[in-house]
Amino acid sequence: MNMAAKTAKQGRPGARRAAVDQDEEEQPLQAVLVADSFNRRFFPVTKDQPRALLPLANVAMIDYTLEFLTSTGVQETFVFCCWMSDKIKDHLAKSKWCRSNSSNTVHFITSDTYRSLGDVLRDVDAKALLRSDFILVYGDVVSSIDVTQALQEHRLRRKLEKNISDNIVVAVDSKSKRILHYQKTQGLKKLQFPMNIFHSTSDEFEIRHDLLDCHISICSPQVAELFTDNFDYQTRNDFVRGILVNEEILGNQIHLHVAKDGYGARVSNLFMYDAVSSDMIRRWIYPITPESNFVDEEGKSCTHSRHNVYRGTGVSLGHGSQMEENVLIGQDTSIGAKGHISNSVIGANCIIGDNVILDRAYIWNNVHIADNVAIRQSVVCDGVEVKTGVILKEQCVLAFNAVVGPDVTLPEGTVVSLHHPDEEEEEQDEFLSDHAEAGHNKATKKDKANNSKELGTEGQGYIWKSSSLDHTKEDELAQSLWGLVLNPDPESDSESEASEGSDQPGSRTISPELDDIKVFQTEVQGTLQRGLEENIGCDNLVLEINSLKYAYNITLKEVMQILTRVVLEYPFFQEGADLSTSQYNTLLLPLLKGWAPVFKNYVKRAQDHLNCLASIEEFFLEHEAHWGALVLMSAYNLDILEEDGIMRWFSQEGTTDKSKLLRKNQGLLKFIQWLEEAEEYSEGD
Amino acid sequence: MELQAVLMAAGGGSRMMELTYNTHKPLLPVGNKPLIWYPLNLLERVGFEEVIIITTKDVQKMLTPDRLKLDGKMKLDVVCIQLEGEMGTADALRHVQQKIKTDVLVLSCDLITDVALHEVVDLFRAHNASMAMLMSKLHEFTETVPGQKGKKKAGEQRDFVGVDATGQRLLFMANEADLEDGLTIRKSIMCKHPSMRIRTGLLDAHLYCLKRCVVDFLVENKNISSIRGELIPYLVRKQFSKSVNLPNNKDEVEMSQKMEGQTNLGSCKDEELLRLTQERSCWNDHHGDMSEAYHGGKVRCYVHIMEDGVCYRVNTLAAYIEANRMAPKLIEDPPIHPSAVISECTQVGADSIIGASCQISDKTSIKRSTVGASSTVREKVKITNSILMNGVTVEEGCNIQGSVICSNAVIGRNADIKYCLVGSSQRIEPDGECLTVTQNAVSV
Repeated sequence: MNMAAKTAKQGRPGARRAAVDQDEEEQPLQAVLVADSFNRRFFPVTKDQPRALLPLANVAMIDYTLEFLTSTGVQETFVFCCWMSDKIKDHLAKSKWCRSNSSNTVHFITSDTYRSLGDVLRDVDAKALLRSDFILVYGDVVSSIDVTQALQEHRLRRKLEKNISDNIVVAVDSKSKRILHYQKTQGLKKLQFPMNIFHSTSDEFEIRHDLLDCHISICSPQVAELFTDNFDYQTRNDFVRGILVNEEILGNQIHLHVAKDGYGARVSNLFMYDAVSSDMIRRWIYPITPESNFVDEEGKSCTHSRHNVYRGTGVSLGHGSQMEENVLIGQDTSIGAKGHISNSVIGANCIIGDNVILDRAYIWNNVHIADNVAIRQSVVCDGVEVKTGVILKEQCVLAFNAVVGPDVTLPEGTVVSLHHPDEEEEEQDEFLSDHAEAGHNKATKKDKANNSKELGTEGQGYIWKSSSLDHTKEDELAQSLWGLVLNPDPESDSESEASEGSDQPGSRTISPELDDIKVFQTEVQGTLQRGLEENIGCDNLVLEINSLKYAYNITLKEVMQILTRVVLEYPFFQEGADLSTSQYNTLLLPLLKGWAPVFKNYVKRAQDHLNCLASIEEFFLEHEAHWGALVLMSAYNLDILEEDGIMRWFSQEGTTDKSKLLRKNQGLLKFIQWLEEAEEYSEGD
Repeated sequence: MELQAVLMAAGGGSRMMELTYNTHKPLLPVGNKPLIWYPLNLLERVGFEEVIIITTKDVQKMLTPDRLKLDGKMKLDVVCIQLEGEMGTADALRHVQQKIKTDVLVLSCDLITDVALHEVVDLFRAHNASMAMLMSKLHEFTETVPGQKGKKKAGEQRDFVGVDATGQRLLFMANEADLEDGLTIRKSIMCKHPSMRIRTGLLDAHLYCLKRCVVDFLVENKNISSIRGELIPYLVRKQFSKSVNLPNNKDEVEMSQKMEGQTNLGSCKDEELLRLTQERSCWNDHHGDMSEAYHGGKVRCYVHIMEDGVCYRVNTLAAYIEANRMAPKLIEDPPIHPSAVISECTQVGADSIIGASCQISDKTSIKRSTVGASSTVREKVKITNSILMNGVTVEEGCNIQGSVICSNAVIGRNADIKYCLVGSSQRIEPDGECLTVTQNAVSV
């Protein structure tokens, strides 16, 4: 899938537009190749080699990108490098792109200050390098798509086109191929589309969830200007979002071209690396194939035989070794006896021992693999030594020059590098570009003590552990070297089903208000407990409860009800539910005494007294056994409740049998009698 | 018998009270035929031999085969319901459930279409669907509507219909009014149908094929009262629920039991074979994975969208006028009834229809109009773009343009009527001139 991009200011006078069109035909087609990913997906592999130079099927990734650009007809390419720019320069200087007969002129622009795609494009604008529409790609794009059609469409339209990336949903106006909405779905259960995108004149919209963004953009020169104008745009996603949001105001548009055939992908993580490599060997990217040696370099040529087995020159194969299918072996590599190799890529000058099993293994150059080794779906970088009897489980990475073994098994997802995982933090300031997001990866921890156990007695290197669990919220993608884990999430389905069920007749969920009250209650309880433990003054408790009250939007009446309930429940909370009445009372009374000022703060008016009593009644209706006048009496003695209130409450006939029963309690009757007598006494006095 | 047809003809036509004030909606003349003739004809053309008509007592009296001008091969089973206003379409279907033995084709009496009905039914058959429905592109009504000044108000709320890449599977349905917070689609649906087309500007023809078990489901769930408003959205949503349901969601469990239980309801052997074929076949309805066809969903809804052709629902005045304009193309009868008396010096356009026993006098011109049965048109009358119902008398020298004249109205001499609606049995005074007329017609 591929796309083109360009913006056009719509209010532009027609005359000038014509002039621009004319210009274009004379202008050579230009491209901007960003040879830096500005992220750390391939870390720590990229610590020694920039991503653009990592070999894919024994050819550096940037060569694929340049081949794609050249075959599209690009005549001038600006390569922007940052991390390890010298290596990239050296590589390209030796390659066919810099020979005098190359149809594609390559210019280098290096700066250590680039930290994002946005920086690069702002620099493009500042240097005024581009005269017309240009193609924007990353140095890790592998593609055989003919973008000329998209280019033509784009010129016709003079509008902006863009493409869609993995895990992205777009709403597209199906008639004009305009992108209206663009969204990554990672971690989303439901997809929301704002209504305003449907307000256009068209009556047909397409929502696609099956497109892969191959990160090829055709941009008009204004794109660079826009990046300058909006200094907060860092990535292409920022840009696309910004354009779409401001579309109505600025009149810039993004369009998309869905390539029906051809191949295009960006090697954005190891999962993609695995996928693109195997596609390459299976010849899906034709005409770019391993044996075509399009880079035209010595020693890269190889022969192609049945079952997609490719062999470079000087390959030696031991007796009884099987190359089952889809295998690429670089020159001067020797393989021992009785090996079993399938779906793998082996670089140049490797030495592989006997009885070796390789499946979906990507072995780069100058690697030594001893006897009896098994490697499955893993990447082994240059200069690595794997001693005898080592087993690599799925998704392991051995970075440059690491040594593993003998006789160890590396569990799934192990990453071994000679670099200390903590180094990066010390040197953080020096890290740029590929390491720009260094802050994200602090979770990687070294585990030096266990190294000899895990890597074997002769092992060299550190195991990198990324505790991605802590980071799931931030950016799942950045964490895992191997990219997404595609496991279906059955739970999410049923959950959303349940939520949908609620709009069915008959099933109503509880209103969220109640939940607030629940939360408030637990908060109050926590506050009181802390008050008790830390001996916090009642004034401060009142303050805290008040702030909670506002946080959860609780009325004063409810505060009092909840407070009463919490306090009365507190003995149960402290000592468990099965307390005898006397135990309960002895626990409760000091509490009441301690918190009396808190109560007094909330129980002021006559109505408050009644409410408070009602809450007490409600509580004791649930805990009848513990009912006694003692609570009321102590509340009266502590001046929390007043006589009038109690009398009025008592005179209110209970509405249910139970509450009537409650009022007939012996102790209560005595207390009431005492109150009455005291009243008479004081009157008589 | 594979499908039983149920024709809903009890609606009151509340959106065009001007016309239904005196005439019941199913009997409104369109191209000199009662409205109900069109759906009946549609059914007859494809070979239905029996149709259940749900209607009111008043309409039943008028529904004589003579009036319907059907060939008489089709047996009409008229069922009356009372209190038209309080009963929804689903209630009506429940009312006749005893008569329903197979899958049903439900349609509304106000549907005028030239759709090839088998397209819808084939979808229903091919996918063993729970529901298949018909939609059509919404037509813009260009003609001026009598009694309505200026352009019609900015349209009603749009319906959003989501279909899959083939344009047949119905994935999503919502009205704009319910989408204030934006359109929400579950990701699981997008995973199953990665390319979804959201379409607006579609007209729901109110023609549904429903599985027998859906009718059973209706019988059990009495709170659903409208097919369009409640049942269909429910079915569309249910397509993506898991067959393993939460126990508290009773509806759903019943539904899936019904869906599974359909083996018990008749052709046991066929269903068994069907299940076996699905099991043994490597066919599935989607790309990208090898999971079973329809992702194992038991409820499936399909829609046939007519991209061209005629499809009207005569439920507003504008649609009524438009339908009348289209009627000559749909009716095979000669446009001028043999019993009509038309004098020679009269111009009658080919796109006009003259009903039985009409009398058209000299020097009259009739263009793009319909003149109902037993009407009398005198000399020097000009009628364009108008609809004259039955028994209308137009005196000399009148000029009628873009108007609807209801039954038995009398238009006085030299009256000039433009874009008017004249109620039934009204009298327009001679030399009257009216430009806008409201309900039941007033003259100046």
